Amino acid sequence: MIGKNIPHDSGLAHVTGESVFIDDRPMLSNEVHVGMITSPVAKGKLLGVSFDKASSHEDFLGFWTAKDLANKNWGTIVHDQPILVESQISYMDEVIALFACKDRSSLLEIKQLVEIDIEEETPIFSISEAKAKESIIYKAPKAFEQGDVKASLSNAPHTLEGKFICGGQEHFYMESQAALAYPGENGQIEVHASSQHPSETQRVISEALGIPLHHVVCVVKRMGGGFGGKESQAAPIAAYAALVATKLNRAARLILSKDDDMKITGKRHPFENDYKVGFDKNGKILGLDISLQADGGAYADLSASILERGMFHADGAYYLKNCSISGICYRTNNHPNTAFRGFGGPQGNMTIESIIEDIAQFLGKDAFEIRKINAYQGNNLKTPYGQVFENNLLPELFSGLYDKSDYQKRLKKIEDFNKLDNGKVKGLSMTATKFGIAFTARFLNQGNALLNVQLDGSVQASTGATEMGQGVNTKIQQIVAHAFGIEARSVQLMTTSTEKNSNTSPTAASSGSDINGAAALKACNMIKGRLCELANLIFQGHKSDDLQEYEIKGKEIDPNLIFENGNITHKKTKQKTTFVELINTAYLNRVSVSGYAHFKTPGLGFSKEKVEGKAFNYFTQGTVVSEVTLCEYTGDLKVDRTDIFMDLGRTLNPGIDQGQVSGAFVQGMGWVTAENLVYSDKGNLLTHSPTTYKIPNIQDTPRVFNIDFIKNDDNDCTVHRSKAVGEPPFILGISVWTAIKNALSFRAKKGDLVNITSPATNEIILNELTRLKEGNGFS
Amino acid sequence: MRNFALCYINGRPHEITGDQAFMTVAEYLRYEKGLTGTKVVCSEGDCGACTILVSRFSSGAMGEYKSINSCISFMYLLDRCHIVTVEGLKQENHIHEAQQKMLDSHGAQCGFCTPGFICAMAGMAEDLKISGKPITEQKVKNYLTGNLCRCTGYSPIIEAGKSIDLTKVKILGNVFNDKNIAQTFTDLKDTSLLIESKGREAFLPGTLNEVVEYKTKNKKCSVTSGATDLGVQLNKGHSVQGKILSLNNLTEAYEILDTEKALEIGAKASLTDIEKKCEKSFPEFSQMLHLFASPQIKNKGTLVGNIVNASPIADTIPFLMVAGAELDIVSDSGKRTVDINDFYQPGYKKLDLKDDELVSKVSIPKTSGQFKLYKVSVRKDLDISTVTFAAKYEIENNKFKSIDIAFGGVGPKVLKVSGVSNTALGQTLSADLFSKLADDVISEVTPMSDHRGSKEFRFKLCQNLLLKFGKEIMNKALV
Repeated sequence: MIGKNIPHDSGLAHVTGESVFIDDRPMLSNEVHVGMITSPVAKGKLLGVSFDKASSHEDFLGFWTAKDLANKNWGTIVHDQPILVESQISYMDEVIALFACKDRSSLLEIKQLVEIDIEEETPIFSISEAKAKESIIYKAPKAFEQGDVKASLSNAPHTLEGKFICGGQEHFYMESQAALAYPGENGQIEVHASSQHPSETQRVISEALGIPLHHVVCVVKRMGGGFGGKESQAAPIAAYAALVATKLNRAARLILSKDDDMKITGKRHPFENDYKVGFDKNGKILGLDISLQADGGAYADLSASILERGMFHADGAYYLKNCSISGICYRTNNHPNTAFRGFGGPQGNMTIESIIEDIAQFLGKDAFEIRKINAYQGNNLKTPYGQVFENNLLPELFSGLYDKSDYQKRLKKIEDFNKLDNGKVKGLSMTATKFGIAFTARFLNQGNALLNVQLDGSVQASTGATEMGQGVNTKIQQIVAHAFGIEARSVQLMTTSTEKNSNTSPTAASSGSDINGAAALKACNMIKGRLCELANLIFQGHKSDDLQEYEIKGKEIDPNLIFENGNITHKKTKQKTTFVELINTAYLNRVSVSGYAHFKTPGLGFSKEKVEGKAFNYFTQGTVVSEVTLCEYTGDLKVDRTDIFMDLGRTLNPGIDQGQVSGAFVQGMGWVTAENLVYSDKGNLLTHSPTTYKIPNIQDTPRVFNIDFIKNDDNDCTVHRSKAVGEPPFILGISVWTAIKNALSFRAKKGDLVNITSPATNEIILNELTRLKEGNGFS
Repeated sequence: MRNFALCYINGRPHEITGDQAFMTVAEYLRYEKGLTGTKVVCSEGDCGACTILVSRFSSGAMGEYKSINSCISFMYLLDRCHIVTVEGLKQENHIHEAQQKMLDSHGAQCGFCTPGFICAMAGMAEDLKISGKPITEQKVKNYLTGNLCRCTGYSPIIEAGKSIDLTKVKILGNVFNDKNIAQTFTDLKDTSLLIESKGREAFLPGTLNEVVEYKTKNKKCSVTSGATDLGVQLNKGHSVQGKILSLNNLTEAYEILDTEKALEIGAKASLTDIEKKCEKSFPEFSQMLHLFASPQIKNKGTLVGNIVNASPIADTIPFLMVAGAELDIVSDSGKRTVDINDFYQPGYKKLDLKDDELVSKVSIPKTSGQFKLYKVSVRKDLDISTVTFAAKYEIENNKFKSIDIAFGGVGPKVLKVSGVSNTALGQTLSADLFSKLADDVISEVTPMSDHRGSKEFRFKLCQNLLLKFGKEIMNKALV
């Protein structure tokens, strides 16, 4: 069961269209639709909002503003963000007021009748403006320092200085933010949300409405994609629906259009990282001084943790003997940026991969040589934040993929191809991921699970994990089925709900299966301990009757009892009973066949003030090689081939993990190529739908795409020695961008270095080609 | 005159009138019929989550099942159609081969885009089974170009598509007994359809006379064929004229006549049909239509729609201009023919088309000459152009005997660069000539900056596309 390629537990419902998402739930007869009024300016004072005209609309049912909230602010780390604008508008399309109507088609009509009075102020949109005005959300208290960076830089034979710039990214989950609230008796409310964090959603609702937590239930059946965008920012959306439902005492539905979702919600953080690197003639990095600067947008959201993860991943896969990594996150009048797969890691990691391409070009060497000599070796080197990097598979992943992908031969071919004057230029690049697994906020590394075994031997499992397509439910289904020795279809993962699992962590940081899977296994083992004791009593000939019942004292699992194929067999005596029989015997003897367990990842603890301790439980690692072709006339990009070599420990489900890797890679590739967020000078997002914001299409997937896993049975710190997979392969998408850089380097004059930003759109590529050839770009 | 549309959904008839007729198909399916498998993401035909399969009644029989975007189609337009949704592909616990393979290959992760992919994939299976063609990786990608997925990176979906066993695919026409459905539609005597509700009116006449008569009386009405633009306008809250005239039920408007002199394309002919018909006479145009849009859009969108919409970035117009296409324009006072180059007047969307007129046909003359067509966009497939290029030319003794070049995306309308063409005429093909043309083109185009690219980028593209054109035809001349 563990390691088997079974289908996604919702697969059949997905392909037949039977899966229920928020807006698929049938309308109640008195249900209402919620509309949002948003700000037309990026910064200003809200002087008034008038529903006078709107209220004459026949379908208008009421409106609500910040005055109707019991608590005005929300925030995951700091409570700094207004749920609804009270007076200060801080970003374009910030939500100002809510209204309700009966008919979906009235939403747009009513919205157009609402008048807003605003005194506009001068906004800040860029990191440089924010820096000049000292508009800061968070500054890391201490830089990550190792060795002597000053001395190493001043003694290095070669140094390079520069600024690495990467843009944001829209999550583009297919199901936009959505919530449906049902008011209940006694002031209670049940909210169905498309949320990665039901517990946080429950808390924000409770605060917004001023009702105690035990009166709020947040239910998450599934999400149509999350990618981090529903970790924090799903909560206020749910609170809006809840507020309206409570005020009208009617069910209230809030479904964002894709355009509104893209305009209102935050995105991946843009970063601008300044660096200075020193290296020797072979390309060995002697010292690296890097300062990360992120655009946090208008409010704190998760920015502090995201910036830190950027710092944690600034070393990439490479050992930095002498380094200093500092970080600061600026406050601007952009939408509050938020979690997005990788959580700052990609922005940190990409910087060093870019630096390595530059070193290679500077020295006239192939970048793989530089990567090879700088990659972490052995199991006792320290990361810049003091944690020893153990269980290092990077050398094998680098050299293994070098051979598997035929790197050397292809590089030669590309060099020959690029000498032909055919309007095309190719590039090849290998990059890597070494992604730290654990929430860096220690308290989040906990989870709980509730298992109910039914009398027919089937099992209902509930955890705090939320299913957004990543297959966490299928993995837990496998873990539970394996534990009891029953079929996967006998285990049903139940809807996630705060009434079954509370104080849960967001399904984020790639940790969903690690934490919830381990909690579920622990719950299984509690039940199994009782079942073993019972089975042994039966096998030993003890009887139960009307006068006497089996007494269970609560013991550990007996390793002599094997749970397999629906049976429990004693290894030595070969005595056997079925799982169903045993469960029924337990019930009749008043033994609990349900289990609740709490799990915490052991051994974690990191101080950012001291920069010491263990930030991560382990690292998921991988390498990738991408080959690209650029059209020199238009800047068009084609990804010819990608080969990936991942370490996922012992995979729980290879089919699901394969899908996580290919999906993450392509999403990463989109971030660094065509996904371009363009804003007007007033701060309006101009690319707010798929017509203008281009996520990768089926034709953009690498023409040849190979994914392979390295054998690794040694990851003993997780459930069944598996590894987290959600975010790490996102970072591999960077290889497409470095391959573009490599391709461009073939057109550079000696002494000139390729200098591009991310995303490398066709315009960026053509501009750099023009600059490299003609001395000046066109823009 | 009928006052209801009749359509079948998953084998069952539905009479649709009043308010419901003006709903998008996706809204009707989801909120009136509870068929929530059909999803809406973008409401603009760009993501494919709302894909359904539609067979249209024509000349006494049901046509092939084609994928369309249900979020930008209206119920009145599906008069005399059979809609098959994702729910309809599962028959008595037996799932469709596309559903089975998507399940086996982990083609569904979050599941939100999945029903759209299933319908598009089932449409592919239907097409290939009927045409007897094999499934290839490229075909899978082409049929699924109109569907976005954010979870899988597509490779599991490509795997699913490739592994479809066509022998296990049942033709939908047999599953649903199309003959009976066609008979019901044949029995409907009234072809013309007029539906009114809350100040809105949709008129779908069955004859050209009725069309012209209505347009004369209702000069300001919106004329729609595939509604691929109208649907987006309405979904995004733009006000649209309350009266809508559609050529949907006008059988003759679907015709494509391939004569010796020209390819004559009716106003309702779908871009998919045009792409097929052009394969021989205008292979370059057929190829460009291939990149033009998704199958879902091309199954519904029309060439005349693209022409009259008159966008400066319309992909087809540069080609039609250099090809010297002619438009048939009809009104109460009869028919007139206009060269497409005269149809577009200076300025943004200014047309030689009076309020009581409409375009009934476009003819592309089969005159001598070769074509080169380029399109540059942020994403190669299914994206709106940054700049488009079209050239028609003849070469004799290594000189341009004739040359005509047009650019899209470089001004308020698609532009013929006659200065550049005149300079090239009669000249020997050489690198120097194309460098000069690239220098000259700057003074003829007036691009703007927008989210697809800066004006400087567009200037550079105009130059580079001329250089690319030169390079390609000179290479060819050498061979």
